[in-house]
Amino acid sequence: MTNKKISALTKKRYSSEKRFKAYCIAALALAMAILFTLLSSITLNSLPAFTQTHITTDVYLDKNLLDPNNTNDLEAILREGPWRSLAKSSLREMVPGVNDRKEKRELYGLVSVIAGDSIKYYVKENPNDIGKKVQINIPSSDDIDLLTKGLIDRNLPEENRTVSNLQLKWLDQFIYEKRVSKRFAWKLFNHGDSREAEVAGLKGAIAGTLLTMFVTLIISFPIGVMTAVYLEEIAPKNRMTDFIEVNINNLAAVPSIVFGLLGLAVFIGYFGMPRSAPLVGGIVLALMTLPVIIIATRASLASIPPSIREAAYGVGASQLQVINHHVLPLAIPGILTGTIIGIARAAGETAPLLMIGMMAFIVDTPHKITDKATVMPAQIYMWANNPERSFESLTSAAILILLIILITMNALAIYLRKKYERKW
Amino acid sequence: MSIINIYMIIIMLLSISSYFYGRNFIKNKTSTSTEKQHSKDTYHGAFISLYLILPSIIFLSLWIVISPNIIDELLTIKIIYIFGQLGIDELKILKSQVIALSNGVLIAGNLSEEVNYISDYYLYIQTVSKKIYIILSCLGSAAAFLYARKKITIRFNARFNVEVIVKSIMILASLIAILTTVGIILSLVVETIRFFEIINIADFLFGLKWSPQIALRADQVANEGLFGAVPLFAGTLMITVIAMVVAVPIGLMTAVYLSEYASNTLRSIAKPALEILAGIPTVVYGFFAALTVAPFLRDKGADIGLTLSSESALAAGLVMGIMIIPLISSLSDDVINAVPQSLREGSAALGSTKSETVKKVILPAALPGIVSAILLAVSRAIGETMIVVMAAGVAANLTANPFESVTAVTVQIVVLLVGDQEFDSAKTLAAFALGFTLFIITLGLNILSIYIIRKYREQYD
Amino acid sequence: MRENGKMKNDYKVKTENITVDYGEKRALHGINLNISSNEVTSLIGPSGCGKSTFIRCINRMNDLIDGCKVNGKILIDNEDINNQNMDVVELRAKVGMVFQKPNPFPKSIFDNVAYGPRIHGTVKNKEELENMVRKSLKRAGLWNEVHDRLDASGLSLSGGQQQRLCIARAIAVNPDILLMDEPCSALDPIATAVIEELINELKERYTIMIVTHSMQQAARLSQKTAYFHLGEMIEFGDTSSIFTNPKHEMTEAYISGKIG
Repeated sequence: MTNKKISALTKKRYSSEKRFKAYCIAALALAMAILFTLLSSITLNSLPAFTQTHITTDVYLDKNLLDPNNTNDLEAILREGPWRSLAKSSLREMVPGVNDRKEKRELYGLVSVIAGDSIKYYVKENPNDIGKKVQINIPSSDDIDLLTKGLIDRNLPEENRTVSNLQLKWLDQFIYEKRVSKRFAWKLFNHGDSREAEVAGLKGAIAGTLLTMFVTLIISFPIGVMTAVYLEEIAPKNRMTDFIEVNINNLAAVPSIVFGLLGLAVFIGYFGMPRSAPLVGGIVLALMTLPVIIIATRASLASIPPSIREAAYGVGASQLQVINHHVLPLAIPGILTGTIIGIARAAGETAPLLMIGMMAFIVDTPHKITDKATVMPAQIYMWANNPERSFESLTSAAILILLIILITMNALAIYLRKKYERKW
Repeated sequence: MSIINIYMIIIMLLSISSYFYGRNFIKNKTSTSTEKQHSKDTYHGAFISLYLILPSIIFLSLWIVISPNIIDELLTIKIIYIFGQLGIDELKILKSQVIALSNGVLIAGNLSEEVNYISDYYLYIQTVSKKIYIILSCLGSAAAFLYARKKITIRFNARFNVEVIVKSIMILASLIAILTTVGIILSLVVETIRFFEIINIADFLFGLKWSPQIALRADQVANEGLFGAVPLFAGTLMITVIAMVVAVPIGLMTAVYLSEYASNTLRSIAKPALEILAGIPTVVYGFFAALTVAPFLRDKGADIGLTLSSESALAAGLVMGIMIIPLISSLSDDVINAVPQSLREGSAALGSTKSETVKKVILPAALPGIVSAILLAVSRAIGETMIVVMAAGVAANLTANPFESVTAVTVQIVVLLVGDQEFDSAKTLAAFALGFTLFIITLGLNILSIYIIRKYREQYD
Repeated sequence: MRENGKMKNDYKVKTENITVDYGEKRALHGINLNISSNEVTSLIGPSGCGKSTFIRCINRMNDLIDGCKVNGKILIDNEDINNQNMDVVELRAKVGMVFQKPNPFPKSIFDNVAYGPRIHGTVKNKEELENMVRKSLKRAGLWNEVHDRLDASGLSLSGGQQQRLCIARAIAVNPDILLMDEPCSALDPIATAVIEELINELKERYTIMIVTHSMQQAARLSQKTAYFHLGEMIEFGDTSSIFTNPKHEMTEAYISGKIG
């Protein structure tokens, strides 16, 4: 064996080492690149949905029209006012000379179908303006919205775009008159779901998620912690507790959709609980979250050194006193971390909720856990299935909001874990 | 539920006040006596307060479980009494009409007088059942309260008694896990058995044709091959394999890099990033697959002359693989870190390069753990729903071409159950049969993975 | 109840034929040992001889170990502690324990000492509690060092101080008997000297049983010494006679360093 031969072999080994390391780096880089692509594509897609095009219209709040009987009853006015036709007539006034039925329809198509509601809302806020001529910002229709954001190409031939030449002309006139503005789309947070993209918001879904998570938390947290404490601190090691443990580990691996089937067959089918309600959704997600909380709590309890327990027993504390006064308080950071992660997972869960009907089209905001409701992920799923172009960015915006909530929760969990990590 | 809610609130308030009552009660007793009190005041308070509330809670859970059954039974009797003997389907329809009417979902005017009458009866027995519950639990709670009050004496070991109750509650809590499993198995098994009464089990397991929509027409229910689940299994299998081809190498290499090569700074960035990837809801991955990945693949495929379906198995599989990367990398990271440092040092001392140490020492030592991680990942991929619902097809094609559209077991469960459904149609039951199959397969994979870990785990300590 | 065993002939702790099994394995083979009031009794012997297991029988700490079975009779003040009527919590209030490694609760110094009186309800109000804490810390010789920082965490103290805090915590519940399981094994020589001095003072009030590895410590501290070997008690008697004139050859071998 000569030196040269050894070095040739070593060289080969080193190049193989380099190759291997390069593969590993490539894998990590790929994973990071995917994460980056996913987050950036969703963020970019969602940006248009956070602003909304408004058209400033001159509206004459004709007292004779709004309050023909001169009752001065604001509630009745708000309830019965001809808001829609008011919006239409003010548009006609701004663009004189539109008489053809088809042209009229195109003109009204500039603004949202619920344009009347904007006027109504304005009157509700400023009742003293009745009888005056005022300027009100009315949301444009979603096609106009897409056009002003450059998402519809105005250079396409007319038959290939959803905005007609006539509408384009009017819009240009409005832009020239500085009537067109982009504003932050507050409707995302203060409107419920709608078939019209320009008014569809997340209020209902957010409320539904909160109600559902409330039910999930109040069920899974106490039961999970009690189970974990029992198994880790109290239970004798026997077949029964072994069986419970195996059970819990298996439950953690059961596909979420199966929990949905359980909810459908048992809670809706047998107990007759209402469909589409946060009550059932919350229970189903609680059963799903239970193993997560139990496993995290047990790990947290097991990490507390036995010397603490011995010390407490030594001065004559009973078992429950040892648990209550010493073990549980020390385990709380770990328990909370596990609970937050579990709840965050439940908040992003969709499949089991589809089974129990929590993806119905619901406009109203739910107030009770027995109201019909939907949740954020289900709302995303429904919007993603909507073929209309403007729902695409709306879906991305909903995803972005959901991700921000979930990532904040997870970051909080990581922070808690880091901060209260104790080395014994 | 409202009357029950009010009762529960009252009982809770009473229970809280009886805690203070119990504390004062024992204080007064002790102040007039020379004997030493056994347990602290708070335990006497807790004892009497727990005794007061427990009967009501126990009765409530019994009532919730039992009363729907009894009410349903009474309703059936009443319907048969009025309408005479009916077929199962007619009975079902009448029942749902009655229930819908009494919930205010249907309007009374559109239904026959008998149905209106039965609906009133239904509401009446519901009220009676609530009243019975309240009377019984009132009596129970009052008796328990008086009993507890009599028990309290100076030498009474209230602490022990309270602890027994608390421990019993904890045991009950830990039984919830078992109850959940029992509930899952029961609900799946019962419906699956009913499904196999309509459809031959062999047709389901080995049939090559799946088109449940036709089964809506009663005369075609028994048509052979309509519920053949093979295309579904094949679709799930193909998507899972694609996902694993993506996830296993990337996840494993990432884990190796992070635990063997990476600097602490890189680790402290990459690990939370992977956790973020793991925390992204599957509906988001589904949207990503349907909106970004599938069109991208279709366009690129068209560029090189391939025809890709816009719901191709490839897109769904790729994105599912991405979803699974963090699972594999974090589980593998754990097992790689569990390999003791001494093995690495021993290998390095023999003059191995790092990659030789990884390939010849660490990975073989960690192999059982890695295999079990992969099995868990497979089970996760099989049970994953949203990605395939949004990115894979609905039509059941039996194909081996990953560029075509396939469907999956979970997709069909969603398709069969979403929307209005009849509870007992073959369609609904088929969803439960599919769910049961899914449950068995994932359970098997999970048990196998635990078995591998236990059997091949090296004991390093 | 507490006469502190003034009757000289009556023993504070009597054990008859104690056997302990950990599952299949027998750790103690029939121990008979009687201990008088206000004396320090040392238990010595090589590692794994069962001396720790024995003192853990006296306050039934072995109950906490799964699969551990204790048989035989243990009488404290002529009361059988394994009796059905004996409440283990009251027993442990009467028999305090100090462990091998200092194990203060991760709470303040005050709360550490106050914990026992609080759970046993031996104090009526805050003032009594404060008195009790002060008295216990003084008896444990820690008061002067910590009286200005009672709110500091028990874990912020040095090892020797932590151990004295644990002693203060044990005596705050007014026990009759103190069990000490190698209380100095985790401490440096200076801290050990302080603790030994403390033990000497404490024996005025308490009956003390101490497990120790150090023969010198046993000789310095105790009036009686028991030598354990492989789960049996080989010899028991006055410390002076055991160390100068052991009756059993194994005891002699251990004392002269032949068995380690």
